[in-house]
Amino acid sequence: MDSQAVKRTGRWKSRITSELVGILGAGAVISAEDELIAYESDGLTGYRVKPLFVVLPSTAEEVSQVVKICNREKIPFVPRGAGTGLSGGALPNREGIVISLSRMNRILDVDIPNRVVVVEPGVVNISVTDAVSAEGFYYAPDPSSQIVCTIGGNVAENSGGVHCLKYGVTTNHVLGVEMVLPDGAVVTLGGPAPESLGYDLLSLVVGSEGLLGIVTKVFLRIIKKPQMVKTLFASFERIEDAGASVSAIISSGVIPAGMEIMDNLSINAVETTVGAGYPRDAGAILLVELDGPEAEVKTQVPAVSEILRENGAIEIKLAADESERQLFWKGRKSAFAAMGKISPGYYVQDGVIPRSTLAKVLGEIGELGRRYGLRVANVFHAGDGNLHPLVLYDPEVEGESEKAEELSGEILRVCVDVGGSITGEHGVGFDKKRFLPLMFNEQEIDTMNLVRCAFDEEGLCNPGKVFPTPRTCVEPGMKKQGPETTPAKEMGELF
Amino acid sequence: MVRSFEKKMSHVTELYKMVSNFHVPGSGDTDSGVPEFGFSPEVVLYPESVEEISRVLGFASQKGIRVFPFAGGTKLFLGNPVCSVGAALSLKRLGRVLFHEPSDMVSTVECGMEVREFQKAVGRENQLFPVDPPGLNSGATVGGLVSTNLCGPMSTRYGTCRELILGIRAVRADGEIINLGGKVVKNVAGYDIPKLMAGSLGTLCVLVEATFRLYPRQPSSRTLVLGFDNHVSCSQAARAIFAADVVPTCFEILDERLSSEFSAAPGAKRSVLLKFDSFEEAVIEQIKQVREITSGKSASFVEMGDEDSRKLWDSAREFPFLSGASFSSKLTLPVTASIEILSDIESNPALSGVTVRCLSRPARGVALVSVSGEGEEAVIAARFLENLADSLGGRIMFSGVRRELRERVKAWGDFGDALFLMKNIKRRFDPGNILPGEKIFDAD
Ligand SMILES: Cc1cc2nc3c(=O)[nH]c(=O)nc-3n(C[C@H](O)[C@H](O)[C@H](O)COP(=O)(O)OP(=O)(O)OC[C@H]3O[C@@H](n4cnc5c(N)ncnc54)[C@H](O)[C@@H]3O)c2cc1C
Repeated sequence: MDSQAVKRTGRWKSRITSELVGILGAGAVISAEDELIAYESDGLTGYRVKPLFVVLPSTAEEVSQVVKICNREKIPFVPRGAGTGLSGGALPNREGIVISLSRMNRILDVDIPNRVVVVEPGVVNISVTDAVSAEGFYYAPDPSSQIVCTIGGNVAENSGGVHCLKYGVTTNHVLGVEMVLPDGAVVTLGGPAPESLGYDLLSLVVGSEGLLGIVTKVFLRIIKKPQMVKTLFASFERIEDAGASVSAIISSGVIPAGMEIMDNLSINAVETTVGAGYPRDAGAILLVELDGPEAEVKTQVPAVSEILRENGAIEIKLAADESERQLFWKGRKSAFAAMGKISPGYYVQDGVIPRSTLAKVLGEIGELGRRYGLRVANVFHAGDGNLHPLVLYDPEVEGESEKAEELSGEILRVCVDVGGSITGEHGVGFDKKRFLPLMFNEQEIDTMNLVRCAFDEEGLCNPGKVFPTPRTCVEPGMKKQGPETTPAKEMGELF
Repeated sequence: MVRSFEKKMSHVTELYKMVSNFHVPGSGDTDSGVPEFGFSPEVVLYPESVEEISRVLGFASQKGIRVFPFAGGTKLFLGNPVCSVGAALSLKRLGRVLFHEPSDMVSTVECGMEVREFQKAVGRENQLFPVDPPGLNSGATVGGLVSTNLCGPMSTRYGTCRELILGIRAVRADGEIINLGGKVVKNVAGYDIPKLMAGSLGTLCVLVEATFRLYPRQPSSRTLVLGFDNHVSCSQAARAIFAADVVPTCFEILDERLSSEFSAAPGAKRSVLLKFDSFEEAVIEQIKQVREITSGKSASFVEMGDEDSRKLWDSAREFPFLSGASFSSKLTLPVTASIEILSDIESNPALSGVTVRCLSRPARGVALVSVSGEGEEAVIAARFLENLADSLGGRIMFSGVRRELRERVKAWGDFGDALFLMKNIKRRFDPGNILPGEKIFDAD
């Protein structure tokens, strides 16, 4: 019996509970079985693990104290935002603590002249825009889950949204963070200045999927609302033509704020459920949102319309007003939910391909669907090649959910084969770690581990995620370097 | 001691066999491609493939031979001076565009390629690699660009290469060849190590290839120069432009001296330079807007001709590394501080003994300050700028520091909390300090 197992007795648990309660207060420590259920999984509900405790700290100092206990007791810990993640990133460890940041939800500073908003990690994405909207600003990354997901989760996943083609993803909008490192130290990286110097640690933290520490404060860049926004809707007989339009628009010098494609199955699902007015017989629809200075947008609208026509659009509509614009978007925004209405189960995939391979990849996805006997709907951020194939299945049918999962994995292989990625915005997390080797070899994954070890030598922070196989920091993943003649020695102690 | 030196020399000669070409400094044969290093490598290696680089680093790391990667050699003065190096490793022979898919607007290029050439190559497809670092026309290479993360006026709109880099192929200090990131514009598989390379000054890996996102070229471009009588009206105008519905590609503020030296607005106390790129109508409209919002504030408002604007942007781009300066510095600040800093600097007695030139790039929160002056006075100026950056919530970096000042004006200001994590990263990536860590970390 190892010493760990000895320690995790009922007595041990009650000692840790009272220690946590001492730091956080009784209302901020959850250990009752029925209350833990809510934290068993994130948005990917297929994976469920009940943790030992869930704690709800209110300050960075409290987070730090909890993390220090975890270090002392060798308890793995998992940061958690709103739990909307779609890769199992916030999945608990059985012997671990979930550190929920939901109570750290204050907007700490709104600095319009410097275009910076400072928030705690539990602040919901949309609240940032709400806080600056009256001044004519907004926070650009807009995941479809933005009314619930948190900035901490967004930072950890480097989340995107429909407007990322022009304005970039979370990493392009985070100027600094305060974080509790896996050993409990509190550090600040970056700050209100748009640029920083030295190694770009911030770029490692954004997208680190909760493995490098717990973000407790975020400096966000806000941007001015565009003077004009125009949304074009186009329908096509063939989805390939919608794809070709996307490439042609960008090649012409126009970078729309967003470009979204939905295929025939998605169109019909949406029409059945919300009735956005999309033509049910179209092979695909394309939404193009143009924004910027009025004069620019006014020039772009006819230019883009012409491109759509040249590429075979059957119908082209320009939203006449804000309500029509909202209607165009309504269908797209409710696409995931609509799948739930036309199919008892669906699996959301997130892969990326080079735009130029769109037609080929969609063809292959169709073929895979036929081979597996399952329907696959395609909804995607077409401008940046980020596909969200939705694999529909019936969980009641024996073996079908496994088939859907397998098909989903096959889609990722297709994405990687054409030079793409296994994830564009949902992260690797628990779910996709087995696919990481499709993109990276052992040395490359070891190199990622060097980063992790620089932050978390003990490996207690969100273990079991991202890396396909457990890796320690004992062997740094490097071949041995020069013994007696190491220059560091000759130079005096460099570090 | 002598034995160990001889042993190391013989190890270095082993390296010759691993690459297609090499040059031994002082051996009689001349090599015009060798820059002024400021240290004396025993050999300059010219590998022609990533495998050759891998062999060199694999061997060097086992034997403890230090390796200094370089390419154009135009920015060797950045960072702290390098101590001792066995081999300088030139990327010059790796200079091809490997991949360019115009409809994806993505291109992969070898790091020895000159930025200018890369821009020309993608320009043939009417695309833009929108980074304009100092030294653009004098041999700056893609590898140097990434490892220094230098940028120029266009960073106002496009950011630095950190914002554009999607993937890398690199050789680790232990010789392993790694490909990280990818070739697509959106990708969150694994840590963003390509971005970590931006600004790492070759201290972590030898970069061999980089993949970038490209932008479309814009059909029309115009440059505006606004002259101001005083700082207050300039600052008001700059804030108004920043807040307006205009999207400039470049937006810089010059102090009085630079306003004259760049022939931007001679005699003006300050000038604001703006460049707009878009469709012709949109450019005209934005210029009209700027005119409206700055009317009553600016003393002059001039739209530059093509030739003049080219010269002007060349000057702004090259400014930070003016020859003749005792040092130049880059301050990274909150946006408003980067506007006000011109008056902080101008009115300060600590700078009365030196000649100061200052250019601010407000949208990036960057101020570039060059100082010309002697001895103690230059040091006082450096201390002043350091404290100023600190008090404004920013950071500072010095470069091109004259030899006699180097003991007292170090390349880097305070890294704050980041320092020990940076050291951890370096130690993990290169435990033997084979690559020149001292460029960033002081020996202490
Ligand atoms: C309907 C729906 C639509 C979605 N649409 C999009 C979309 O358009 N674009 C997109 O990118 N994503 C989308 N997502 C995925 C998800 O919403 C994002 O990944 C989001 O960023 C997760 O935020 P969260 O607060 O729910 O984080 P969680 O799910 O709670 O956590 C996500 C990860 O972040 C870590 N984490 C959380 N907080 C912190 C912190 N403070 N410090 C360190 N690590 C932390 C966790 O450990 C975990 O690994 C969607 C999800 C759903 C359910």
